[in-house]
Amino acid sequence: MAVKAFSNEWAKEFKDEVNRSSVYKTAAKGWKWTVGLVVEAEPDKHFPEAKGIVMDLFDGEARDVTVGPASEAQKCDFVITAPYSRWKEVATKQLDATRGMLQGKLKLKGDLPTIVRYTKASQEMTECTTRVPVEWPDEK
Amino acid sequence: MARRKVKPKLDVDSRAEVGYADDEPSAFASMLGGLIEANIRTRPEKARDFESLVARVGIFVTDIHEGVTLDFKGGNLVVHNGLKPRRTLTIRTDAETVMSLSNLKIGPFGLPVYYDEVGRGVATKLLRGKLKIDGLLTNVMTLNTVTRIFSVQ
Repeated sequence: MAVKAFSNEWAKEFKDEVNRSSVYKTAAKGWKWTVGLVVEAEPDKHFPEAKGIVMDLFDGEARDVTVGPASEAQKCDFVITAPYSRWKEVATKQLDATRGMLQGKLKLKGDLPTIVRYTKASQEMTECTTRVPVEWPDEK
Repeated sequence: MARRKVKPKLDVDSRAEVGYADDEPSAFASMLGGLIEANIRTRPEKARDFESLVARVGIFVTDIHEGVTLDFKGGNLVVHNGLKPRRTLTIRTDAETVMSLSNLKIGPFGLPVYYDEVGRGVATKLLRGKLKIDGLLTNVMTLNTVTRIFSVQ
C-alpha cells in the first residue's frame, strides 16, 4: 500500500527497505555518520513546507529514519538538499542520484572522499527509495 | 577568462592549492576540485604526488555531457569548466565509472589495482570502449599519478 511522500509512514517503510537489503549491508560496512535529506518546499506541487529526513545509519544498518523540520536534517554529518520534485525524480528512477550530484541537481554537503568511498552504498540506498510505493501530493 | 582567486589552503603544512578558473564553477568542477583538495589535505602521499604533477587532464562525463579540465601545475591546481585545449590526457566515460575511478585502490609501487572488483570493472569498461583515455599510451605514468591523487582509497 502506498504511503504519503516523506511522511513518518514513508520513513518507516524506507528504513525497513534499507534493512532488508543485503547489498546495502555489505556496501555500508564501516559507515558511521548521520545523513540528512532536505526536501525543499514546492507549494505549486502541493508540497508547501520543507521537510528534513534524518537517517541514523551505522555499519550497514539503518538504526532510525525520522521526518521532521529541515533544520534537523541540516545538522547531520552529510546533507543532501534538493526541491521536492527532484527527490521525486530520484525515487521514481527518472534521475540517477550520482548524475544528479555531478550536475548539481542534488546538493551535497559533507566530506567528499567519505561519500565517494561509499558510492555503492548510496546507490543502493537510492534503489531502496524506489522500492517504497509512494503517494505523491502533486498526483492526487 | 576571469580567474577566481585561488582559495587558501587549510593545512599549513602543505603549499598545495586548488582554485577555479570560472566565476561559477560547475557542480562537477566543484566536486572534483573539492575531492582532490580533501585528498591532498589529509593524505601526505597524495600531497607529494600533487606537488610533482604538471599536466592538463580533461574528464568528460558522457551521460551528463559535462566536462572539466584539471590543470595541475606542480603544487597548484586550477579547475576549469569544460574541456580546454592542450590536454595531456582526456578521460571520457559515464558518471558511474568516474566514481569507480576515484575508488581504485592503490597497490604496490603506487600502481592502481585492477584485479579487485572495482579495478576489474574499470578495466572491463576500458576494454569495451566505455572508458576512453586519449593520450594514454604516451602518458601512463601521468595517468597513474592522477589516479593516485584522485582516488579516495
